[in-house]
Formats: sequence, structure tokens, C-alpha cells
Amino acid sequence: MEKRIKRSDEPIWWALFSAGGVCFAVFVPAAILFIALLIPLGLLPVETLDFERSRSLLFSFPGLIFIGAVICLPLFHAMHRIRHGLHDLKLGRDKTNKIIAYGAAMLFSVVALLGFVLGNM
Amino acid sequence: MTTKRLSIQRYLPEQSKTPFWQDFDVPFDDSTSILEALNHIKEDMDGSLSYRWSCRMAICGSCGVMVNGEPKLGCKSFLREYPGTIKIEPLAHFPVQKDLIIDMEIFLEHLAAVQPYLINDSEDSTQTHKQTPAQLAKYLKFSDCINCGLCYSACPQFGLNPEFLGPAALTLAHRYNLDSRDQGKAQRMAQLNREEGVWTCTFVGYCSEVCPKSVDPAAAVNQGKVESAKDLLINLFKR
Amino acid sequence: MAKHVGYFPELKRNWWLKNRYFMAYMAREATVLPLVFFIVCLLAGLYSLLLGPGSWQGWLHFMQNPITIAINLLALGASLFHAATFFTLFPRVMPLRVGGRAIPAKWIILGQWFGVLLVMALFAWVFGRGM
Repeated sequence: MEKRIKRSDEPIWWALFSAGGVCFAVFVPAAILFIALLIPLGLLPVETLDFERSRSLLFSFPGLIFIGAVICLPLFHAMHRIRHGLHDLKLGRDKTNKIIAYGAAMLFSVVALLGFVLGNM
Repeated sequence: MTTKRLSIQRYLPEQSKTPFWQDFDVPFDDSTSILEALNHIKEDMDGSLSYRWSCRMAICGSCGVMVNGEPKLGCKSFLREYPGTIKIEPLAHFPVQKDLIIDMEIFLEHLAAVQPYLINDSEDSTQTHKQTPAQLAKYLKFSDCINCGLCYSACPQFGLNPEFLGPAALTLAHRYNLDSRDQGKAQRMAQLNREEGVWTCTFVGYCSEVCPKSVDPAAAVNQGKVESAKDLLINLFKR
Repeated sequence: MAKHVGYFPELKRNWWLKNRYFMAYMAREATVLPLVFFIVCLLAGLYSLLLGPGSWQGWLHFMQNPITIAINLLALGASLFHAATFFTLFPRVMPLRVGGRAIPAKWIILGQWFGVLLVMALFAWVFGRGM
């Protein structure tokens, strides 16, 4: 019962998923805690994120690392799990789900990086 | 002597196309295993009950069944561990031939596909192959598999897609790939690299929970993913 | 090929509701859902920074909405649950050795949690500067 043996392209998506998983675990908790909880709740002064200061923080080299570690890579992580979750729930065809999931991750990563470029112009 | 109720899923293809449940009240004490209870039923209550068993001591790997929905070796699980009625079913994710007997053909095919034996065509093959304790330690923990198939019944990915090579086969592939005496890694990697090789696994991890020999197949399969990713990189640079 | 004679029940899509271990697995996989919400918040913030101070003020207001805060609180919990599972899996997937000796998994897990705290300290330093 010899079958044609085809190599999977999964290592690429798995590498992005893993890198995103590390970021989701190490960088994202702090990002949520400060940006989405402490400051909006007023536990840190809201001026911490005033317009000029936020611009200079985000549209800088550390800001680029922030975009990579808190937006782009976690996006690939999330979309990988959503794709496999759909398979686990027997929803849709995996081939289509795969294209939509990673396509969305790529699209929004480009949107984020484009925003960064626009912010530096 | 007290008794405990065993509710067993029966399937008798000559009589009915669908399985049915049958209850047995079995006498037991602290040392009565599920397998012994099945033997008692077969000998004293209903001789038509069919199941596989052999060694009674978690070595042969024949007596796997679902006990209250969990894959278990009948000889290694005891009636005392279960309050209330105990539900016994054939191992999940496999076709059932009769009562608790499953068709393991696909599992055996997956095992054969990864060539789980030493491959070594070096000239001095008449010589004994020396191995240091450190070299042995690399694969030792993955070499205790008894091919009982519990990990396949624990794996939803195998349940969703029986073409998935599955935990035991991928663990054995990894075990031989890690063996310093082996030269067959290139042949096995072709199987691991497939979509239905390591890449169907989503690290549910239940296979390692149910393994009666604590082999940790989930770790082996996911180390296999690292190997497969490395294999892809090496392949790109070779061209 | 295996002859699929006999009885072969198909795995139903609710398989994961029948076992505690599978429910925990699905919870782990679902941690990405509130994460996606948080990322969308950040993307909206990024573009409101490009649009000007008024738009940025609107975004800050949106972030203060109780529903937004509730979902982001869930996202924080999800990220920590994800971290707990991910950190335990890591030493099993990549067992680290130093000088021929395996580093105990406990140390690797602790080291990763230390990383989380370090990043929190970094954020505190960045946002606390000049306040």
C-alpha cells in the first residue's frame, strides 16, 4: 500500500504559531494589564496615554517590536488555533479554513505594519 | 461478598446491527481487576461475551477497553476505584468486530509505516553496536510502548481522521530516530513530514495521560514536529 | 486496507463535552478568542493615532466602556491561562540540556514566569517614566 508521500507546509505555520504563543504568554499579559485595564480604569493616570506621548511611543523602534510581539505574531497564533478549532468542531473544509485563517493573519499584520509606516511619515 | 454492577456494551453482528447494553452484577474485593470481572462473567454468567486478553500484568497490551469513557487496560484497573455502576465499552475510534473486540488493522498499518525497528546497513553489521548510557538515556523513556492502542482511543485527532499516524507510531518513529545505532531517520522523516504525520497533532495531551507505561507520546510527537521543521529547513538549503 | 465491517460510530462534533480533559483542551484553544478582541482594539488604537487627537480621545473612551473592560479582563485571564499551559508544554517539546544534563522542567517553567514579570516591569517603567 505505497502512497505518494507529500511534505506538509505546516512547519511554516507551526513556527509562526509557536513564536506567537510565546508572545501571547510573555508580552500580551502586560500589554492587556496596562493598556486595556489599568489606564482605562483610572488606576494609572489617563495622561499616561496622551496623544503626543502615545505617538512617540508607538511610532519608534520599540513600537515596531511591540507591533510584532503583541499584534502580528499573536495574530498568527490565534488564527492557527481557530483553524484547528474549526476542524475539531467539524466546521467547514480545512483547506478553505486554512486559507481564510492565515490570509486574515497576514492581512491584519500588513495593516498594522502599514499603520506604523504611515505614522513615521 | 459484595457485588458491583458492570454495564457492558455488547455487539453481536449475527444478531443485530446495533450494539446494546447488558448489566452484570459481579462479586468483587479490593484486588478484583476489570479483566478478572470480565473473566468471571464469561466463565459463570454469559459465555458469549468476547474480549481480548493475555498476560494479566500490563505487558501484552491486549485488554484495552473504555472504562467509564476512559481508555484503560482491564488488568491494570480495579473495581474498587469506581463507585457506582462501571460502564465498559470497546476502545474508542476503532471499528468494533464483536463486543469488546476492535479491529486494530489501521493501527498496525500506521506502525508499519514508520518502520519501528533498527535500520543499520553499515559494513560492520556483524559487530555488536556499542551504546553509552547517555546515548541510551536519549530514547529510553520512549521505548516502553506495549502497543496497547489506548493513546489512539484518547486522541480526538485520530478519531476525526483515522489516516493520522497517531501517538504510538509517531513515538516509536521518534524513539528509533533518537537511537545512536539507527540510520533510518531519513526514511522515517518522509512519513513524519506528511500532513497525516506529526502535523495532524494539536497537543491535546490526553494520550500521555492514559498511557499505562508513562511513555509520554505527546512529548515525542511534538519533538517530532521540531525535527520535521528542521528537516524542512535542511531540505531548503540542500537545493 | 482495514475492512470496516461491524460497528464504527462516527466521532460527533460535541466529542469534547464528554470528558473533562477535552473540555480543558477546548478552553485552552478558546483563549485566542478574547485575544483577537484585544488585538482588534490595538489596531483601532493604532489607526486612531494616525487620524488625530480627537479620534484618539474617542478610542480612549471606547477602551473605558465597561463591556470593553470586561472582555479585556477576560483576555488577561485567558492570556495567563494560556501562559500556564504553554510554559508546561515547552520543556516537553524542547527538553533543554546543559553540559549533558537535562534542566529540570520546573526551572524552565519558573524561568518563563520570570519573563512575564520582567515584561510587566518593563511596561511599568515605560509608562511610569516622566509621570
